[in-house]
Amino acid sequence: MFYRETGQFKTNYADDMALLPILQDRIGLGIILFVAYVIIPFFGNDFLLSTVMIPFLVFSLAAIGLNILTGFTGLISLGTGAFMGVGAYACYKVSSTFPDLNILFCIVFSGVFSALVGVLFGLPSLRIKGFYLAVATLAAQFFLQWCFVRIPWLYNYNVSGAIEVSQRSIFGVIVTGAKATPESRYIVMLVLVTLMTWVAANVLSGRIGRAFMAVRDMDIAAELMGIDLLKTKLLAFAFSSFYAGVAGAAMMFIWVGGGEANDSFNINQSFLILFMVIIGGLGSLLGAFLGAAFISSLPTILKFGLPAIGIPLAGATAEHLTYILVGGLILFFLIVEPHGLARLWQIGKQKLRMWPFPY
Amino acid sequence: MMQTYHQIARGDTLLAVDHVSLSFGGVKAITDVSFDIRKGEIRAIIGPNGAGKTSMLNVINGFYHPQKGQITFKGLTRSRMRPSVAASQGIARTFQNVALFKGMSTLDNIMAGRTLKMHRNFFWQCLRHGPAMDEEIKHREFVEDIIDFLEIQAIRKVPVGKLPYGLQKRVELGRALAMEPDLLLLDEPMAGMNLEEKEDMSRFIVDVNQQYGTTIALIEHDMGVVMDLSDRVVVLEYGHKLADGTPDDVKANEDVIKAYLGVAH
Ligand SMILES: Nc1ncnc2c1ncn2[C@@H]1O[C@H](COP(=O)(O)OP(=O)(O)OP(=O)(O)O)[C@@H](O)[C@H]1O
Ligand SMILES: [Mg+2]
Repeated sequence: MFYRETGQFKTNYADDMALLPILQDRIGLGIILFVAYVIIPFFGNDFLLSTVMIPFLVFSLAAIGLNILTGFTGLISLGTGAFMGVGAYACYKVSSTFPDLNILFCIVFSGVFSALVGVLFGLPSLRIKGFYLAVATLAAQFFLQWCFVRIPWLYNYNVSGAIEVSQRSIFGVIVTGAKATPESRYIVMLVLVTLMTWVAANVLSGRIGRAFMAVRDMDIAAELMGIDLLKTKLLAFAFSSFYAGVAGAAMMFIWVGGGEANDSFNINQSFLILFMVIIGGLGSLLGAFLGAAFISSLPTILKFGLPAIGIPLAGATAEHLTYILVGGLILFFLIVEPHGLARLWQIGKQKLRMWPFPY
Repeated sequence: MMQTYHQIARGDTLLAVDHVSLSFGGVKAITDVSFDIRKGEIRAIIGPNGAGKTSMLNVINGFYHPQKGQITFKGLTRSRMRPSVAASQGIARTFQNVALFKGMSTLDNIMAGRTLKMHRNFFWQCLRHGPAMDEEIKHREFVEDIIDFLEIQAIRKVPVGKLPYGLQKRVELGRALAMEPDLLLLDEPMAGMNLEEKEDMSRFIVDVNQQYGTTIALIEHDMGVVMDLSDRVVVLEYGHKLADGTPDDVKANEDVIKAYLGVAH
């Protein structure tokens, strides 16, 4: 009833080509931004910010990254965890080598560095596809993970072998290290995610996004349009790895505040992000958020939410239940709805547009 | 205005296929075939199934590399080339079994045909304002003209994978037209269509040829359509050239009647 585009006539192409051409969608986005920027930081407690929101935002970035590669360009990758690791170590090296450099700059730099590494490991994608490409990215995962452990220079020869995050501030506000408040860390994360989502939406709806999807849907025809397959695939790897790299750096510096790479950037992480993309919806930015929200909050909901409403659940059981639920949903979505939660949302909107008439 | 230009231009050789042979292992797809396509004409390529028609188009736009012979396009001679180079030289094409970008809308599919003409770099694409948006709008206007021309306004935003076959063929023609090609290769554009759809498609092909002066190479099994539309016809059989000439010449050719038309009747 209320979700209608009827009567909203576009008088020029610029309006029609806006990222969100329908008024109700723009209002919806406005409300989400208001909640994210105003309501949550003022009224949310530390638990909500540190345990729910910050991890969700970090995972959203990683899921956007993988979705650019797998959902939009059709190149499967099992190395997202490793590319996040590249970002984390790059950020660590740069920030410890140049202690006066703004931390945001370090984080963006780690994205760029990760993009370069992504291009390197993306080179085989011109010759190999599907299963074989998946294996090649798996090799990248293990090789990079090996580097993280075996090259002590990367973690500055720390005895612990872990990344140690020092205290950094932006405009006088402490944003990393033990003294940073959840609010400030949350806001930094939120700004990063807002900006990077906007950029991704821009790129994906223009010439380059169309080239990505053309390569995904029919590469021979894409070549015939003059789309250079190698360049386009490498650009997809670079763009995607940029997001993974920033997510990894943010994970270490803003979310967990340091730790060992083998725990954070292993194959499990790669799969977790792949699951987010599949459950959320391949080829949809909204899907990346939905998938990240679902998978990153599921353990918390099971562990804390269920006991809170009177259903007792042991920690280990909650963890097992998470695996079962996620596994079941992956099967469900792969078989029934490959476009994931994002498509279900679209179908829901379509129904709403027709409501109350069934047709 | 266009018409006079078109008439004058008609006649010069745009593309020459010179003693081309192509084989796949033991299978000879094309054997020593030569013919030319003149500027501004509609050139039909006909022949029974497996005659080598599609293979010939694949040679022309660089998907297949012939073992022998060469191709001269716009005065440039080459024996092998890449499809992307063919595209930048002005060769566009549609496929026998529709090769659209299934997950993209009609609009995006046709916009993809403008890729070679869009140059704003990655930085501007990130912002999607200023020059990038101007460029996007300019090309959107061009694409909207094609959409109007092909009468597919209603399916602008529909993912092409959901469209019926006849409309998909039309969108694929639109995508090829978006490249503003000098030579348009159409591989059975009317296969699987009903009479009305065939008539529409024939009209579009003639209009493209006359309004824009686009040279067209057309593969088609429907003899009525071929004889109506084309200026000249080349007939292939088992990879060999059987005949070459005006529709009337070809219709009267003994070999052709035996090999091809005879079967059809
Ligand atoms: N990629 C390929 N590999 C092996 N053989 C091929 C290949 N492409 C074509 N051929 C063979 O070349 C011959 C000519 O095929 P082609 O597709 O050019 O015929 P056609 O004239 O387009 O037929 P149709 O009317 O059925 O489309 C056939 O014998 C076919 O099997
Ligand atoms: Mg064929």
